[in-house]
Amino acid sequence: MDSDPWVISLDAASCDDQRIGGKAAQLARLRRAGFRIAPGFCVTVAAYEQFLRDTQLQLVVQMELGRKPFGELRWEELWDTALRIRNRFSVANVPLAVAQSICRAVRLLGTHTPVAVRSSAPGEDSAQRSFAGLHESFLHVVGEEAVLESVRLVWASLWSDAALLYRQELALDPLTSRMAVLIQEMRTEDRSGVAFGRDPRTDENDRAVIEAVPGPCSGLVDGSVDPDHWLMSRATRQVVSFRSGRRENDEQAAPLLQQSDLESLLVVVDQVESRLGWCPDVEWTGRANRLTVLQARPITRARQDPNDKRPWYLTLRPNKQRLRQLGQRVAEQLIPELRELGDRLAAEDVESLDDAQLADCIQTRQSLLEHWKRVYWDEFIPFAHGVRYLGMYYNDAVHPQDPYDFVGLLRGEDMLASQRNQLLRALAQQVQESAALQRALQQAVHEPEPANDFKWDAWASQLPALAGGRQFLTNFQTLLRQFMDVAFGGLRLSDKPTTLLRNILELASQMRPPVAHAASEDEEAIRSLEQRLLDAVGAARHAEAREVLRLARLSWQLRDDDNLLVARLESQLLRALQAAGNRLKAVGTLNADAEVGTEAVAPIRAALREPAQTPLSLLAFKPANPRPTLRAPGEVPRQLVGQPAAHGLATGNVRVIRGPQDLGNFHAGEVLVCDAIQPMMTHLVPLAAAVVERRGGMLIHGAIIARELGIPCVNGVANVVDLLQDGEGVTVDGYLGIVTVGAAEFRLETG
Amino acid sequence: MVRNLVARLVREQHYAVLCTQGEGQPYGSLVALAVSDDLRSAVFATPITTRKYRLLCDCDHVALVIDSRSHSSVDMMQIEAITATGRARQVSPGADYEQEANLLVARHPQLKLFVVSPTTALFHVDIIRYFHVTRFQEVRQWTLTRG
Repeated sequence: MDSDPWVISLDAASCDDQRIGGKAAQLARLRRAGFRIAPGFCVTVAAYEQFLRDTQLQLVVQMELGRKPFGELRWEELWDTALRIRNRFSVANVPLAVAQSICRAVRLLGTHTPVAVRSSAPGEDSAQRSFAGLHESFLHVVGEEAVLESVRLVWASLWSDAALLYRQELALDPLTSRMAVLIQEMRTEDRSGVAFGRDPRTDENDRAVIEAVPGPCSGLVDGSVDPDHWLMSRATRQVVSFRSGRRENDEQAAPLLQQSDLESLLVVVDQVESRLGWCPDVEWTGRANRLTVLQARPITRARQDPNDKRPWYLTLRPNKQRLRQLGQRVAEQLIPELRELGDRLAAEDVESLDDAQLADCIQTRQSLLEHWKRVYWDEFIPFAHGVRYLGMYYNDAVHPQDPYDFVGLLRGEDMLASQRNQLLRALAQQVQESAALQRALQQAVHEPEPANDFKWDAWASQLPALAGGRQFLTNFQTLLRQFMDVAFGGLRLSDKPTTLLRNILELASQMRPPVAHAASEDEEAIRSLEQRLLDAVGAARHAEAREVLRLARLSWQLRDDDNLLVARLESQLLRALQAAGNRLKAVGTLNADAEVGTEAVAPIRAALREPAQTPLSLLAFKPANPRPTLRAPGEVPRQLVGQPAAHGLATGNVRVIRGPQDLGNFHAGEVLVCDAIQPMMTHLVPLAAAVVERRGGMLIHGAIIARELGIPCVNGVANVVDLLQDGEGVTVDGYLGIVTVGAAEFRLETG
Repeated sequence: MVRNLVARLVREQHYAVLCTQGEGQPYGSLVALAVSDDLRSAVFATPITTRKYRLLCDCDHVALVIDSRSHSSVDMMQIEAITATGRARQVSPGADYEQEANLLVARHPQLKLFVVSPTTALFHVDIIRYFHVTRFQEVRQWTLTRG
């Protein structure tokens, strides 16, 4: 094996960092020094280079990373980029000579021996910075084919979303970055953990930190198992402090390690430090004479930048056990609580409260909103990664040509937004069937007064006399109460009935009906995708695959609902503030033209509590000024490039939706241009000829809805909201991700 | 032989400037190109929403400029260029479509998805003449004979 350019045994003398990466090189040194290290071999960086040469995948990586300026890629786009690269790696062939060498080395370890397949990139860990966890590892891999598959995915993880996030620090470059892969026999012991030669939080030299979990170390590394934690004195070997891990179903209250185990670990830490010359962070498994070193790297000295959001993002990466726990908590506890809270607050009669009670009410509502916004970031957003977990799981099993095939499995979920859109379509249908209703709606939306002065009560009172009017009114009131009592851009949508009436008129009169999907065809397509997944994973993993599917569907459904439910809570705060504002204006304590939004909570509460204070003055409502365009004089964008997020080709006039004030201006057949489609505006999508968004991602709302409706969507278009103007003709190519500005100069015939 | 010089340059260079025209107005576009082994034809692809696509539909007379500036940007006397003139036609799905698409994808594997997109048009250029230029002034012409 020593002369083989593609694999090298951990026992070989020529194990150096540049050939087999830092992780493998340290382990090879420790193994030669007599430490207990699992036997194994390394797939060299030369093998990776050969793989890239044969497959020309560096061109794919270059193309993916060059799609737009790196700083403008949002994390959803990074994830998409990594997913596409991963898919291309996973379907590419490993060069025959490399594959033969790997298989030969696997046979030497034993074809039925479970192995761990881990990344070992040159220079990945140093005392300045550690990049632990950015690349993938696979445990309990058995057999030559499975090892080859894992090697491909570890290679691909050089370009994982996490690695891309640290692209600058890692100096990632498609032409020069390389990756070796370490393959070792799995060692499964009853205890595993990490041992730091110095407390990484305080840098105190005499303090070592040891953490232990029952079973394999993976539970500790991925954060799914809470470890027992010891702070030790390295000089006296005494325990300075101990904290027991909180683990479900853990009957054993006693610490996982005895004093003798802790001392053995400190001896290993001392020896590693003396051998390698730096204070180590050692990953280990087993006790006493079975203590095996899994990994040793320098403790990172660098202090974390508190403004760096990337570590937070890394905590979001999917893990099935965490998703399962989150799914249960979110679906069974949090969402029902949030729904019930929204209903309860919406039913409260804030007008009947006295001033002090209203001030308390506002305070309570604000606290509740803040609490639920925290829950949104801490629990709802992490659970949203259930969809991404399915994507990886499906692609690893099925190896589809299109890495987004799995999105078809998310169709047809019963979301709040779908129920709302269904009710809107029913209302549009009623308007289509009644000329009298149509006329009444047209009169309402063409009223000259600003929407705020629309005399809703007077207008609504005439409806019951019209054909179909009574039913329409009942349904419309249901719509306002159940679905539109939400805040969007600081306004309550239920305060804007004319906006909704305009949308309904457009829906009723749309020239191009939405692409109709026969429900049975949809169900058949979903069943077929499900079957592909089940066939690919094999009968032994059917239960696992079904659970991944269940979590992803729940994740997708709740990801939409949670936005609307939190927006409903904000609407209840706005309602209380409006009541307070009206009351204060009536007695002259507040300027009559004041706009009372959530930023006015403190002064409004103070004014309610201390009516004798000097009158309160808040900024008056002013329509938002159009933002300055990014076009320089004489310059016109001709082609804008983004991500092809939903296939199709369409031409139409631009309508930029910047906030709630623009919702009512949208006409059927226009191209919807916005920062991102929010759950509060998905009802506009069926009217649109195409969707163009600044925010990128294949799994964001706009992309998924457009795909379901068969409408082209290009997203991730930098500055698009400030580059395009209302009424401008554009062509949206959802196959290539191109938005062409100006009159259509091309022939639509593609044959 | 001009033939050998042309063969070397098209082997080294992956891109060309496509020259089109319409209503008397010339237009240039950078394209990823593949030239056949016998140097008689070239293939490139373009989105159908582009100006060059419209111009190609209206007029099939084209030129392709390939040069070695990226290799010899400092010493202008070392720069070589060829201008190939010919007629372009859109390759419709059918007998030779796959062959042409494969030629382009083999040269530019990263364009695989671009080439197969329904909004991408594949163009075949029958090359009639090559003009090979060295030292900016020295021009040799090679006209391909059609059998």
